[in-house]
Amino acid sequence: MSELIQENMTITHDGRDWIAWNDQFRVAAPSLEKLDEAVRQWYMARDDIAKTKKIEVFMAFDNSAIPHWIRPFANHYFNRILKIN
Amino acid sequence: MAKTQRAWYDGMLTTEDWWAVWLGLTFFVLGLLSIAGLDLVGWITYPKTWVLALPDGAIPKKIVDVTHAFYPLGAKYSQTAKAFYKGLGPIGGILVTYVVFTIATCIGAYFMKWDLKRYFVGWTFIFFLTYLVWFIGHHAFFAASVVDLKKSHFPSMFTLSLGGGASFILSLIVGLIIGNFFKPLARYLSEAAKPEWFIKTAIVFLGVKVGYLPIKAAATSTKVGHQLADLTLDLFLAGAVATIVAYLIFWPGVYTISRKIFKLPRKTAAVLASAISICGVSAAVATGGAVRSKPVVTIMVSALVVVYAVIELVILPGAFTHIWPGVSDPMVAGSAMGMSVKTDGADAAAGELLDEFMRNEIEQQSGGKIKWPEGVITVSAVMTKIWIDMFIGLWAFILALFWVYKIEKREGEKIPFSEVWHRFPKFVLGYFLAWFIYLGIFFGPGHSGAPEGMAILKAAKAGAVPVEKGMRKFFFMLTFMSLGIITDFKKLAEAQFGKMVWVYFIALFLFIIPVAIIIAYLFHHGMPIPNIAG
Repeated sequence: MSELIQENMTITHDGRDWIAWNDQFRVAAPSLEKLDEAVRQWYMARDDIAKTKKIEVFMAFDNSAIPHWIRPFANHYFNRILKIN
Repeated sequence: MAKTQRAWYDGMLTTEDWWAVWLGLTFFVLGLLSIAGLDLVGWITYPKTWVLALPDGAIPKKIVDVTHAFYPLGAKYSQTAKAFYKGLGPIGGILVTYVVFTIATCIGAYFMKWDLKRYFVGWTFIFFLTYLVWFIGHHAFFAASVVDLKKSHFPSMFTLSLGGGASFILSLIVGLIIGNFFKPLARYLSEAAKPEWFIKTAIVFLGVKVGYLPIKAAATSTKVGHQLADLTLDLFLAGAVATIVAYLIFWPGVYTISRKIFKLPRKTAAVLASAISICGVSAAVATGGAVRSKPVVTIMVSALVVVYAVIELVILPGAFTHIWPGVSDPMVAGSAMGMSVKTDGADAAAGELLDEFMRNEIEQQSGGKIKWPEGVITVSAVMTKIWIDMFIGLWAFILALFWVYKIEKREGEKIPFSEVWHRFPKFVLGYFLAWFIYLGIFFGPGHSGAPEGMAILKAAKAGAVPVEKGMRKFFFMLTFMSLGIITDFKKLAEAQFGKMVWVYFIALFLFIIPVAIIIAYLFHHGMPIPNIAG
């Protein structure tokens, strides 16, 4: 049975690109599809993660991208999980 | 530094939503201690309708002279410290109110990492300006009705008969003047002008009001107490059903208008549809997140929502009172308000204004023979909105599933169910807790208003009234003032919103408001408000 590895990242948007990062790496792409692909490639290239393992990357949105005046109305944008087999 | 919400408890000490719960529940608990004989909230100082000097033959009943224009509520309602609160007097009462609320809100501001010095100065300015406007708005010319004049043995004179509504309108006007003509001052005050925080706190206080309504009515008769308890529970259920129906009609309607008539892109249409049809900014943010739109779309739509909500606040209470549905169907008007006005602040404020207008109108029309308890119409407006707020998390979750798995299918993406909790409006927890505890006191140790329960109900009243009347109204006043300060109408003209301004205008006034009235009519028509005229 393959082992499940859970990783955490933070995601934001700078007005042009989606950006995801953690203390190990940082990727940016104009669309979420391309961002996911870059994240996927980074993990697949890691020697310590065998290809048979499953990875779940929890991406928490950096809510500081939401302007201060909006945060009282809603202080959460979205979180997402990317599954890599 | 990144601000994320990962764990369920994230934001408990750093968001306005949670701080509304802490602030609201703190004063709710202090009020509750009156049952144990401790009256700790009677200092909140409340206005009366006043004139400079009473005319000959008049009695200080509904209208008093200027030296009695304010009084700490404990001076009238406290059971154990009446003399102490009387001794405070109006000025002492206002100063104690200032000190207590300054300490309480500064603690919140500190944890939310605001600029404490700017908050303190801004808060002080807003606090005293709000009290000044509250004072002016209670001059008999603005506030007194024909019935008030009669009860105080006043000679016939012209008044605007706006009741407490005059203060709310004045507060909004003063705020708007600052926000639109004194912009550097408005920018400085914006650190303390927090309508969403103030209104969410006021809504927790409103929870005390909903629970207290049957207790208050029990003093008139046990039957009226039961009627009001039943009415609030009916509103709870009718609000839920009306909200679901509204969601199902509003959202597809506005999405279709945006796509088919105005040819907006799919994601923009989705965000706009939620903003106009559901609950404004929080729905726009939730939908923007659900469909993974770039945050800038959400930000633009949110700016539109805030400005339009204030326009609705100005127009709708008067229209619903004097055009349709009027005093023949006040609960329809309240519920329609909840479905039409798109921010919590503007909706609750509009509901409160509607409550003042309607109660004055019915009292005028009936010559004082019909009197409705204060706050029932506000509750009908807020109850619908609270359901709307609660559903948004679930709605955004369903939309996210549909969008990510069907419309823009992305390999490997999964939506965590915790999204529903992160989007849940936390202040409603305080509202329900306060409501159900007071309702529990009424049905439990209060014996539903039977003679053996009256002692505890009277003790509960001493702590409930300062919170549900004084603090709630004061926080409403702060909301009106702050809404005005942060609303800059020029934003509408300056921003490059293009078609969105028109989609919003057409959808709101030609689709949402008429449909809201129809839905409110279907689920709230004929709900009677008990007459409490003695």
